[in-house]
Amino acid sequence: MAIRELKVCLLGDTGVGKSSIVSRFVQDHFDHNISPTIGASFMTKTVPSGNELHKFLIWDTAGQERFHSLAPMYYRGSAAAVIVYDITKQDTFHTLKKWVKELKEHGPENIVMAIAGNKCDLSDTREVTMKDAREYAESIGAIVVETSAKNAINVEELFQGISRRIPPLDPHENGSNGAMKLGRQSFQSTTRCC
Amino acid sequence: MATDTSFSRRLARREFRSSKDARLSVGSSVMKIISSTSVESLLTAEEDFLEYLSFLSTVALNALLRAGAVDPGNVKLLQHFNESFHGLWELISASYKTLKQSHEQNLALDTDELYLLQQAPGFVHIFKEYFESVTDFMVVKGFDRAAKQASSYWKSNKKVLRQMIKDTSDGPVHVLLQRVFIDPFRNHVQHYTLFLSNLTEDSEAEPLSDVLNTFVELQRHISQILDEASQTKILWSQISNKLTLALCHPERRLQEDSRNVPVAVANGRYERVLLFNDMLVFLQGHESKSFDLKTVWVDSTVKQKSEPNNYLLRIITPEDEVVLCAKEPQCQGLWLWKINQLIRQVLNGSRDYPLWGKAGEVTNPPTCRFSTYTFRNEGRFKEATYEGDMSWGKPHGKGTLKWADGRNHVGDFKFGQEDGFGICLIPNSSQDRYDCYKCHWRSGSMEGYGICEYADESVYKGYFKDNMRHGFGILECGAPDTNPFKYTGNWDRDKRSGYGVWESKNKGERYIGMWLNNNRHGPAIILTDSGACYQGIFNSNKMVGTGILLSEDSTMYEGEFTEDRLMAGKGKLTFSNGFTLVGTFNRNASLGLHTQGVLNTTSAHEDETTKRKFQLGAELFPVEERWNGIFEPFLKFLESGCQGETEEFFLGFHVKSSKKLQKSQEYLYCERDKDEVSGKIEDIIKEISVFQKQEDLQLYLEKAFKSSHHPFKKLLKILLLVYQATYSGVGANLHLLSMAQEEIKYYGKKLLEFCRALLATAGERNGHRNCILDEDEEMSDTWAYTLILPLILPRFHPDLFMLYMLYHEQEDGFYWQGIIRLGHLTDTKLLEFLDVQKQLWPLKDVKLTTNQRYSIVRHKCFHSATECLQKIITTVDPKEKLEIILKTYSEIERTVSRVVDKDYKLPMDDLLPLLIYVVSRAGIQHLGAEINFIRDLMDPSNRGGIYDFLLTALESCYEHIQKEEIRHYTC
Repeated sequence: MAIRELKVCLLGDTGVGKSSIVSRFVQDHFDHNISPTIGASFMTKTVPSGNELHKFLIWDTAGQERFHSLAPMYYRGSAAAVIVYDITKQDTFHTLKKWVKELKEHGPENIVMAIAGNKCDLSDTREVTMKDAREYAESIGAIVVETSAKNAINVEELFQGISRRIPPLDPHENGSNGAMKLGRQSFQSTTRCC
Repeated sequence: MATDTSFSRRLARREFRSSKDARLSVGSSVMKIISSTSVESLLTAEEDFLEYLSFLSTVALNALLRAGAVDPGNVKLLQHFNESFHGLWELISASYKTLKQSHEQNLALDTDELYLLQQAPGFVHIFKEYFESVTDFMVVKGFDRAAKQASSYWKSNKKVLRQMIKDTSDGPVHVLLQRVFIDPFRNHVQHYTLFLSNLTEDSEAEPLSDVLNTFVELQRHISQILDEASQTKILWSQISNKLTLALCHPERRLQEDSRNVPVAVANGRYERVLLFNDMLVFLQGHESKSFDLKTVWVDSTVKQKSEPNNYLLRIITPEDEVVLCAKEPQCQGLWLWKINQLIRQVLNGSRDYPLWGKAGEVTNPPTCRFSTYTFRNEGRFKEATYEGDMSWGKPHGKGTLKWADGRNHVGDFKFGQEDGFGICLIPNSSQDRYDCYKCHWRSGSMEGYGICEYADESVYKGYFKDNMRHGFGILECGAPDTNPFKYTGNWDRDKRSGYGVWESKNKGERYIGMWLNNNRHGPAIILTDSGACYQGIFNSNKMVGTGILLSEDSTMYEGEFTEDRLMAGKGKLTFSNGFTLVGTFNRNASLGLHTQGVLNTTSAHEDETTKRKFQLGAELFPVEERWNGIFEPFLKFLESGCQGETEEFFLGFHVKSSKKLQKSQEYLYCERDKDEVSGKIEDIIKEISVFQKQEDLQLYLEKAFKSSHHPFKKLLKILLLVYQATYSGVGANLHLLSMAQEEIKYYGKKLLEFCRALLATAGERNGHRNCILDEDEEMSDTWAYTLILPLILPRFHPDLFMLYMLYHEQEDGFYWQGIIRLGHLTDTKLLEFLDVQKQLWPLKDVKLTTNQRYSIVRHKCFHSATECLQKIITTVDPKEKLEIILKTYSEIERTVSRVVDKDYKLPMDDLLPLLIYVVSRAGIQHLGAEINFIRDLMDPSNRGGIYDFLLTALESCYEHIQKEEIRHYTC
């Protein structure tokens, strides 16, 4: 089975639980291949999808406002972006919208966007309704789920949703959506400016 | 009389020596008492002969010498004749003396005390020489002329002469004269033989019969010599005077004559064939054509289809071929045998002894021989003298060819042509100097790798074909009076053609681009020492159409130029601040550059950056085509099966630098560097064929790239040369970064390709495939990055990194300002400033004395991570650099885990500020250059993975530090 490496970047305000979701996703299943990780900042997990294996290379980003401008370096070349907000904090949903807007403008073409409303276990103090989130997600064509990293709700489903959205690899075309086949890239040698 | 005194003197000397000899031989093995009667008879014979010699000397020899002195041609011959005569005389006297002594003392004589036996080789030698000198004199009709010269003297002494040989017939004087010098001498040898055979009859002792045999052999030899001489003398009187004059020579003897053993020359080119001891002569009328036997080969394997009954001999000489036809196989056989024997003898430099009759023991001459020959026929070799190995009439093997004009070729020859390695000196017409070619030759012309040092002090190192520079080559002209330059690039039939780099040393200008017929032609880049660079199209050395000019201050002009690269015509100027000016530019002697156009002051930042860092050349010169001339011969070498003898032809030779030479001399007393691996292709193949693991290969390659004789090292050296020719010096220009890094990656790929091919060849030779490098086709690039680049990068790094530094100069400047600013902050201030969570602050690491406060401590927190990151500059291997970054991360994590007292998985929210802290404390100069160097040259399969992530994290720190808020932060 072919392994496809998919770079996924995590965006969202600090404190919304970006890395918790991924930690949950990565830890939930026993992984035969213990992949190297960078704390909770870089993690990988391989899941089957159709007749392919998807290896998610998950890049965390710093949520602090002051580091916002550094985000493009992280999301360039991503196949998917998981944008996380805290359902108990309206602000974080607002930040999410800014991220979506930025990705639309500057992100990779055809990037799969997944919106995760985290901390659904705290729905008592909910500030963002499910309906709002769903409507917004539909308007931008993104996946949306409410998750709880704490209680392991919908975490798996979030990534399954992303997997489904990744178009199967056309053998004649080499990952125009930012997906990479293991070990084979047409490496762009042009030097970037910083 | 002078002769008498000298005679007695010699006698005395002989006496002394012989008595010494006798003493030495006392106690020898053979004891045989010789009867006194035989001794007496020998004594008498010697006495008589001595008397005869003395008389002959007085009556004939002295007169002969006097008469001969008139003819200058004979002086030497007579001298020799005289010397050998006296040599013989001395010998007989000595023999006589010893005999007489023992006889008088009435001592019984042992055979081994007999002078004749003791000195048998001496007797043989002296008689042989005497007869040779007599016949030499005889064949040139010396006796005849002497008889005429002093006819009156001879007439009066004719009777005496006749008495001397006891002849009664009335022969002419010259015949008598000849006989008095020959007959008694022959008889005397015969006498010896008889004496010895009588002795042998009484005894079976081996030494005796051996000596007898030598004298029998001597007798035979003498009669053969005389035979040859008289045959030759007859020939000289038969043929015309003109031919005699041309051919007659004292030492020349007729060996065979086509009138005697019939052979004809095919096509009737010649009517008669004469074989002499030193040459083969063809006669036609009064004309002769002669061939030195040293350069004659005979081939008897030819057959004529039309006349199968003809037996042919093909006579092969360097410039001529003659076919001899014989009707009888015996005739063919005899000629073949005789010619071959004589060739062998002439090559040995001496005649056989005896001349003929050892048929069974003798061998044919070697086909390959050392000879000298001067070419006469029209053609390349006319008047050139060859000295060296020859085979079948052609220079073949090692030799020297010297032309009359001073041209000189030393080296390998094959089938008459220069082939293999050779050094050729060609005189230069203008100066008293030479062009010196040290290179490979094929079928008479330069082909393959070579070095030429021209008379004008310019030097070419590169490939040749058909005597012309062809393929890759470097021409360097350093003569200070002309315009010194260096061209590194492609050649086509002696002309610069294709991709090449030209550097004018005086002007400090470099042209990187295409050539045709020695002219700048096609797309090109020009770099000047002022820092300005041009990109444009050339046509016959002139710049045409639109082009680009980038000035040092990053102003960019895109538009039309004059032929001399001056801005003129329609164009667009983009200033470094992003303003653009579109218009028509004119150049005027008094006003300088003036223009009319539209100035746009709304600058787009991005546009400005791309212009400032505009990359030249990458798409103009596809990297696969740039240095094909270097890779192609290597590939051909691999394809041709890696034959050791073709290695230098394809790959060039190793020229020791003086430094290396010194090193090699050190080997004389030091142990050889163990790290050197053999550069011989056979050894290489043997060595790599046993590799099982990738590590073996890696270790081997590591050494190979350091071993000066190894093909990989040679290739690397050339690549380094072309790389530096392009990108160092004036070429250290940020606009070339893209070209440069692309090129190095391509080197890696090519080297990997060659490595694979070598492994494949090794596998083929051993009958099993080596699969170290062929796991997966898709891994092909990875090996280039993981195996090859780390080994070659150290050589290219200084020049390449310079480009990265130039490219990132501005960003690195901002970054450095940030680093300095943050450096002013104390550890706690910095952690606070970066919003690092207080719980993660490693203040435990800081040991305070009573008076200190945390707020003044600097460079204490995350010390291990900081130190680790600083090591990034200690290696040039991107992989190792990435590992250092990974380790830096682990150090951060370790410190944090210690502080919070549990495993703490850092999310990016925490990690990034900590990393910025570490980066700012590490204070690595040119971090931007480092990061981008790693990114460009790391294994591309890392993309998206952990190393890419960390590198991106590092890059984001670098970006962050450049920010205004940091650079201008005040506490």
